[in-house]
Amino acid sequence: MRFSTIIARNLFRRGVRSALTVLGLGVGVSAVVSLLGIAWGFENSFLTIYESKGIDLVVVKAGVGDRLTSNLDATLESRIKLIPGVKDAVGTLMDVVSFEDANLSSVLMNGWQAESLLFRGLRIRQGRALRPDEGRVAMLGRVLAMNLGKKVGDPLAISGESYDVIGIYESESLFENGGLIVPLKELQRRMGREGAVSGFVVSARATGLTDVEALARTIEKNVAGVAAAPARDFVQGDNQIRLVKSMAWATSIVAMILGSVGVLNTMLMTVFERTREIGVLRALGWRRTRVMSLVLGESIALGLTGSVLGSAMGYLGVKALAQTPMASIFIAADLPPKVLLIGILLGLCLSLGGGFYPALRAASLEPSEALRHE
Amino acid sequence: MNDRLPFLLICRDLVRIYPDGDVHALRGVSLEVFEGESIAITGPSGCGKTTLLHMLGGLDHPTSGTVDYRSKDLRRWNLDVYRAREIGFVFQSFHLLPTLSALENVQIPMFEAPWPRRERRRRAERLLQDVGMSHRAHQSPTRLSVGERQRVAIARALANEPSTLLADEPTGNLDSVNQAEILALLERLRRERGLSLIMVTHSTDVASACDRVVKMRDGQVVVES
Repeated sequence: MRFSTIIARNLFRRGVRSALTVLGLGVGVSAVVSLLGIAWGFENSFLTIYESKGIDLVVVKAGVGDRLTSNLDATLESRIKLIPGVKDAVGTLMDVVSFEDANLSSVLMNGWQAESLLFRGLRIRQGRALRPDEGRVAMLGRVLAMNLGKKVGDPLAISGESYDVIGIYESESLFENGGLIVPLKELQRRMGREGAVSGFVVSARATGLTDVEALARTIEKNVAGVAAAPARDFVQGDNQIRLVKSMAWATSIVAMILGSVGVLNTMLMTVFERTREIGVLRALGWRRTRVMSLVLGESIALGLTGSVLGSAMGYLGVKALAQTPMASIFIAADLPPKVLLIGILLGLCLSLGGGFYPALRAASLEPSEALRHE
Repeated sequence: MNDRLPFLLICRDLVRIYPDGDVHALRGVSLEVFEGESIAITGPSGCGKTTLLHMLGGLDHPTSGTVDYRSKDLRRWNLDVYRAREIGFVFQSFHLLPTLSALENVQIPMFEAPWPRRERRRRAERLLQDVGMSHRAHQSPTRLSVGERQRVAIARALANEPSTLLADEPTGNLDSVNQAEILALLERLRRERGLSLIMVTHSTDVASACDRVVKMRDGQVVVES
């Protein structure tokens, strides 16, 4: 007989209680896995936009945390391009629109210049890309086209104005797949922001991070009122992403505390009910550490099962959520493996945390008193 | 017998006062146990029999007084090792783990012995054979009769080849037939293995089967015969 046999039999002995504890822990872990996965996917998707296009720096108005509220003069583009070390720079404008009929809100609408570096990394699946001097035309991301049921040549109404769908593209970024692109000038007109952009994206000649940071400082020095940051820093510092990550962690911490309390409660009850049995084990020569290992082993077994169950629930939950039209433009169907690993490790830590005090309590029982326990 | 065999256990002036201060479970008990002898500790309920047994087994600490095992004070023993390797306990209510089979129950103390898993199993099988329970080895304790449970508990007490068996009312839950069988089994094992056997009992039949009888009252030894 292995030591693990005793652990397993003890857990099956109180099957319903063990199952409920595993379920509680699983729900906590699944909350952690899905929320963190969504938050990381959110950040990753933003970062992919820049990385897939070879964009090194993002330039926005100084002191603005949200790119949507940044407002800069579009003519700054030519000044930025002249700065040594800048390979290419282009202004972009961004807005958020809704398609109520399709139950889609917060769809990203990008205003891009035709034939600019922004089109790098996009694969045209149907139709074509923007051409210079076009007006009310739109390119739709694959997911948006699917959700709206649109194809090339269809008209598209955006807040009462009609656009021709000229192309459907696919990007590595979920946000771009769930968004649409119109000519920059058209978006400036729509928004009443003629001659303005949200910011600029810059492709640097330098490749090293230190060089890119130095270039950012040079841009800030040469162009008053702008803040330049490496793409990764910009994404990580974005207010919306920080908010999503903070909420994910806050909810996860609450879920983890509840899961840990569940394990603590189960294991404390177990130790209390088995006081006499623990006394017998001690009388038969079991050391305190072995008694502790028994209780901790049961707790870890619950934690491991709960973690695996929770990770699976989180994975399947996010996958199901990503199938809905509303969420598909924000949520990636696949969770990164590191999130699943974090879920399993957290579950193990929770079970260790929840099991430690009961294990200590069991180990500290005096055998004589434990044997007298009614 | 006392002239031929060395002392195994010696306790001197054992006093046990429970922390609330009201209960004086032992009031200066002294006792000498020789290697290979059997002793019955008798007396009315609450007279301190089980407390004395727990002191001898290293399950409880005296408020004052000493217990020596093989001429070494128990305070200098690692009590876990002492209980695991030198002592075997048999309880009135058997205290078998209901989730494990008879064979697995016998292996529980062996986790504190240096034997590998397969050896533990072989030893447990032999012990069950010794107590006439090999045909019920894979049964859960809940499916065993009370007599069978006590046989398994005795096999478990012998798991690590102890020198002393401490039995707290080992026949207290048994009918007369089972009582006789268990007593005969204990006596046979004692002889074959050279064990010392200390039994707490209310039964005069059980007491009369032992080499010596120690009668207690109010935490003291009143008669030793």
